[in-house]
Amino acid sequence: MNHNAEISYIKKNIPSKVKSLGISLLIIGMLGIILSYYFDTARSAYNNIIIFLFLISIGVGSLFLISIEYLSGAVWSVPFRRIPEFLAGIILTLPIIVLPLIFNMSNVFEWLHPEILKIDELLKSKAPYLNQNFFIVRIFVFISIWLIFFYFLLRNSIKQDENKDQALTKKNIKFSAAFMPFFAITITFTAIDWLMSLEPHWFSTIFGVYYFSGSVLAALASSTIAIVLLNEKGYLLKGLSNDHYYSLGALLFAFVNFWAYIAFSQYLLIWYANLPEETIWFLNRWQGSWIYFSIGLIIIHFVVPYFGLLSQPSKMNPKRLLLMSIWILFAHYYDLFWLAIPNYSKNQVIFSWNEISFLVFAIGLLIIIFYAFANKFNLVPIGDPKLKRGIDFRL
Amino acid sequence: MNTVDYSQELSVIEGKPSLRSLDELISKPLDTKPDKKFYIALSITLSMLALFVIGLGFTFFYGIGTWGNNNPVGWGFGIVNFVFWVGIGHAGTLISAILFLFRQKWRTGIARFAEGMTIFAVMTAAIFPLIHTGRPWLAGYLFPYPNQHSIWPNFTSPLLWDVFAVSTYFTVSLIFWYVGLIPDLATLRERTSNKIKKIIYSIFSLGWRFSNRHWQHYEMVYLILAGFATPLVLSVHTIVSFDFAVSIIPGWHTTIFPPYFVAGAVFSGFAMVQNVLIFIRKIFNYEHIITIDTLEKMNKIILVTGSLVGYAYGMEFFIAWYSGIQAEQFTFINRAFGPYAWAYWIMVTCNVVSPQLFWFKKIRRSVPVMFIIGVFVNIGMWFERFVIVVTSISRDFLPSSWGYFKPTIVDFMILIGSFGFFFTWILLFTKALPVVSIAEVKAVVDGSQPSHHND
Amino acid sequence: MDNKKLYGCAAIYNTPDEILSAAKEVRNSGYKKFDVHSPYPIHGMPKAMNLPPSKLGYAALIFGLSGAITALLLTFWISAIDYPLVIGGKPFFSFPAYIPVIFEVTVLSASVATVITMLFIFFKLPNNAHPLNDTEYMKKVSSDKYGIVIQADDDIFNESVVIDFLRKTGASEVFPIYFNDEELSVKPKILEPKFLLFLTATAIFTSGITYFTLNKLLYMTPFNWMMEQPKLNPQHSSIIFKDGFGMRTPVEGTVARGHLPYAFKNKPEDAGKYLVNPLPVSKSVLQLGQKKYDIYCSPCHGYHGEGDSRLRGQFPNPPSLHSEKVRNWSDGRIFHVITEGQNIMPSYSSQLTEDERWAIIHYIRVLQRSLNAKETDLQ
Repeated sequence: MNHNAEISYIKKNIPSKVKSLGISLLIIGMLGIILSYYFDTARSAYNNIIIFLFLISIGVGSLFLISIEYLSGAVWSVPFRRIPEFLAGIILTLPIIVLPLIFNMSNVFEWLHPEILKIDELLKSKAPYLNQNFFIVRIFVFISIWLIFFYFLLRNSIKQDENKDQALTKKNIKFSAAFMPFFAITITFTAIDWLMSLEPHWFSTIFGVYYFSGSVLAALASSTIAIVLLNEKGYLLKGLSNDHYYSLGALLFAFVNFWAYIAFSQYLLIWYANLPEETIWFLNRWQGSWIYFSIGLIIIHFVVPYFGLLSQPSKMNPKRLLLMSIWILFAHYYDLFWLAIPNYSKNQVIFSWNEISFLVFAIGLLIIIFYAFANKFNLVPIGDPKLKRGIDFRL
Repeated sequence: MNTVDYSQELSVIEGKPSLRSLDELISKPLDTKPDKKFYIALSITLSMLALFVIGLGFTFFYGIGTWGNNNPVGWGFGIVNFVFWVGIGHAGTLISAILFLFRQKWRTGIARFAEGMTIFAVMTAAIFPLIHTGRPWLAGYLFPYPNQHSIWPNFTSPLLWDVFAVSTYFTVSLIFWYVGLIPDLATLRERTSNKIKKIIYSIFSLGWRFSNRHWQHYEMVYLILAGFATPLVLSVHTIVSFDFAVSIIPGWHTTIFPPYFVAGAVFSGFAMVQNVLIFIRKIFNYEHIITIDTLEKMNKIILVTGSLVGYAYGMEFFIAWYSGIQAEQFTFINRAFGPYAWAYWIMVTCNVVSPQLFWFKKIRRSVPVMFIIGVFVNIGMWFERFVIVVTSISRDFLPSSWGYFKPTIVDFMILIGSFGFFFTWILLFTKALPVVSIAEVKAVVDGSQPSHHND
Repeated sequence: MDNKKLYGCAAIYNTPDEILSAAKEVRNSGYKKFDVHSPYPIHGMPKAMNLPPSKLGYAALIFGLSGAITALLLTFWISAIDYPLVIGGKPFFSFPAYIPVIFEVTVLSASVATVITMLFIFFKLPNNAHPLNDTEYMKKVSSDKYGIVIQADDDIFNESVVIDFLRKTGASEVFPIYFNDEELSVKPKILEPKFLLFLTATAIFTSGITYFTLNKLLYMTPFNWMMEQPKLNPQHSSIIFKDGFGMRTPVEGTVARGHLPYAFKNKPEDAGKYLVNPLPVSKSVLQLGQKKYDIYCSPCHGYHGEGDSRLRGQFPNPPSLHSEKVRNWSDGRIFHVITEGQNIMPSYSSQLTEDERWAIIHYIRVLQRSLNAKETDLQ
């Protein structure tokens, strides 16, 4: 039964300076957030939404990556499956991050205001879906679904380190299959609730897919950052080579294109049909200084990563891969910013210490969570039956 | 319970056949005279093809008025069939390009056949917009070339995009197919003892000589072609969906159409490939090349894409309600409960419900059951296009101009005939070219690659 | 046998492992002109043979980019410069709408050009006359064996050394391959009658096809279907009617729209009594009246109705319109004069429509008022 006998893995702990970096970022961010909420509640609530979704992207997107690995029977990603597993741990913090939003909902959601509801027939007709109670219930149900799947997938994977039982892989395949429909529904309605309903008159059927493409990209990018950093410093197993990097780079490249495809489809159809109730959403992002921000989105989210990852050698080069992953992760934040903030600040892009402190907080939180998991569990799923094949993987 | 050993890679070709026996097995249909069954099958498809010719004859002689198209449903069977056949044509390139990029070795056994199917399906599909123009002999005007009228095509029209997309798709698929065929034709050239065949194979194999200096570039080109074909295959059905979605008709104008159409195309294409392969592997004794595992994997893809299509149906309904726009809401209520409710529920049962049976491993691996589900999927996908095209325009904004679309006998002749056209090509293909890629299958047989990497 | 030349030495191997290590040994021994043949690509072989990475990616990039730029310029030039049409209220240069076409052209040119580059430039195919073609060796490596050929024109080639060396690498068979130089280098003579005939036939065939395609298949007569309508044009003959005329005389008693016959012929007093001016007095009516008066009435009656004709006595001057008689006439009475004529004044009914006549009457009243204003007019 010991199929990984030849693999020797000695666990190395991540140095504690990573932890202190994380904690200091967390504290700086936290202070900034408190001040920001004190001075400008509405603006902070918008920023809170952005990082909430940013962390959902990474956490739930990582769960999706794990499930896809199980379902497709991929082997190349097995040696670093732990990294998305740890990153998915960010789901644990989601209930806390959403709390300030629950108390400040009326600052961001127009459909909550009774005086607007009175005169707005459209919003009134949406009230069965867009109302405070149902909204809060929904997000907590979603978070608990994610938590359940995170718990079972991680538990089975950790257990396998000890007993090397192949049945656990089979179990996780079943969990992953069950996760897929839940994932599709939760991620779609999260996007509709927290981003689309910021402009409650607007609607687009592709919106869930749009957020999905960005979130998988964010999860993939953050995993790649961690993988490259850890592997180059020797925390992972020996023998992970260009071919593994290439696969990561190719996936990033594919999803950059997928995002562009979805974003273009949405834009083209709305631009072409030119129906006032739909175009207004893009017009809001095409006014004042937002026009430059929107053009920037195309360049930052598509053009740069596209050419950065186009050639075969660039997908294999760890430095290039690291740079592009950081870039793409930032691009996802940029994307979320573009989705949310034009509803708060029309005509003008705003970016100041408020935004930065939320971002710093999110990064700090990610580092802390990853550190905590990484030091508690093995960085490599040493009990996984596919591990040996994964290391031997060549294109 | 059966125990799968995840630590071992399963071979996609069963039984470790020798390379020479693969040559013999795959070239056998080309070396033997067709049997009685083949002629029976051919006579069936040819009589369907005759129906096609008669239907087209009526159409050319009397005009499009012989079809059921009329106000308000100006896009009837012609467009439904076009979208259906283009959709069928999506599986081939998906298998040869996307699965190639994902390094899925099980594709080798089915890729050649699926690519061939793509080409025939696109050929079938291309007939429909041509005859729908009413004067197909003027189709040259669709391309931008300097002409005596000094007019140019309209580049903002999705119908023109279709011309570019479908012709590009056909050309690239054909090239992809041909590039894959070159080594196999060279193998056949070396095997055959027939002089005429030898000349033909020599010409088309271009004098390929299996040099590894060539193989290196060849693999690179295959990768590049796959890299181009992947976005291409997405773009083709995306553009087909734009034909509808750039309009403002409720039920047509919705932003999820592009990915939804692509998922639907892959869905129906895989069902068709699966259906035909079930016969091919039986008749030609390819059970160890096109294994039950391969079929199971195809069924999983059918399940995934079927669920994606179901997701899109759901989203359309939800957003129609959420939008609060009466015309949108009416369109979807009308679909489910209006005069075309029968078509809608056929579509939902076949497309969303029936593939869900593939959650069960037993069903995924049972050949008769999967065949029936595959047939259902294709019926459902034909009705999906019918529902989209017909229900949306039969009742749009103006109740005074509502109508009910009734297809004519000519419509049905062309629909049935298009299957005849498609399957005639398929039958001729099985006897003219190797339906399984010899070189690719050899490369994935156990023991055909060096046992360890020395790097 | 005279013309047989040595192409190289070939070795046949049975397993992929053997060929991989053999290829490495050949490369390490310093041979440059050698090749490995296998029925399918073998993993790791480019590395074993020390081949540089394929440069075909650049071909794809260059052709793809040039396709994209060509398509962009084409769509731009056509839609914004040469043939600008407003479509759907979009600008002439609607870039988002051109992306699909640009994308398709990019993919098409990149993939077609890359394949052509590989087959015809890199591999110099088609080449059925290569020394290795039609040999036993090719039969084997096309099916289930693996082979190495070291070419005779390699710098360090020595037949016996090479054969020994290949044997040592574990080959199951080693043999030399010969080729017939003359047979391979037969070049078709350009002036051979057969070839010329073929050339002419091709030329005639292609031009015929081109002519047929352009002038018959694609040719469309200029847009003139509106002239060729199945209707009768005025003055044309027709076979439908017995008299052969296309035009028909109206049924007796038919009255044309807006042309009711004048009811008061020769009854000026009745006209004055029963006819009422239907037009209101408004600026536009008066302007119409002035215009028509200046054209038709003023030559005799003068611009101000004083009977000061511009005809210089060639025609008797009419009496003034400012006379008490005319001033007291009702509108209908004046209408009768214009319609029927009076004394030597002819009828103006064919020049002036009824409305125009009434408008002129209003204008005449204005002229009359200008000389004989009432006190109330000042209010």
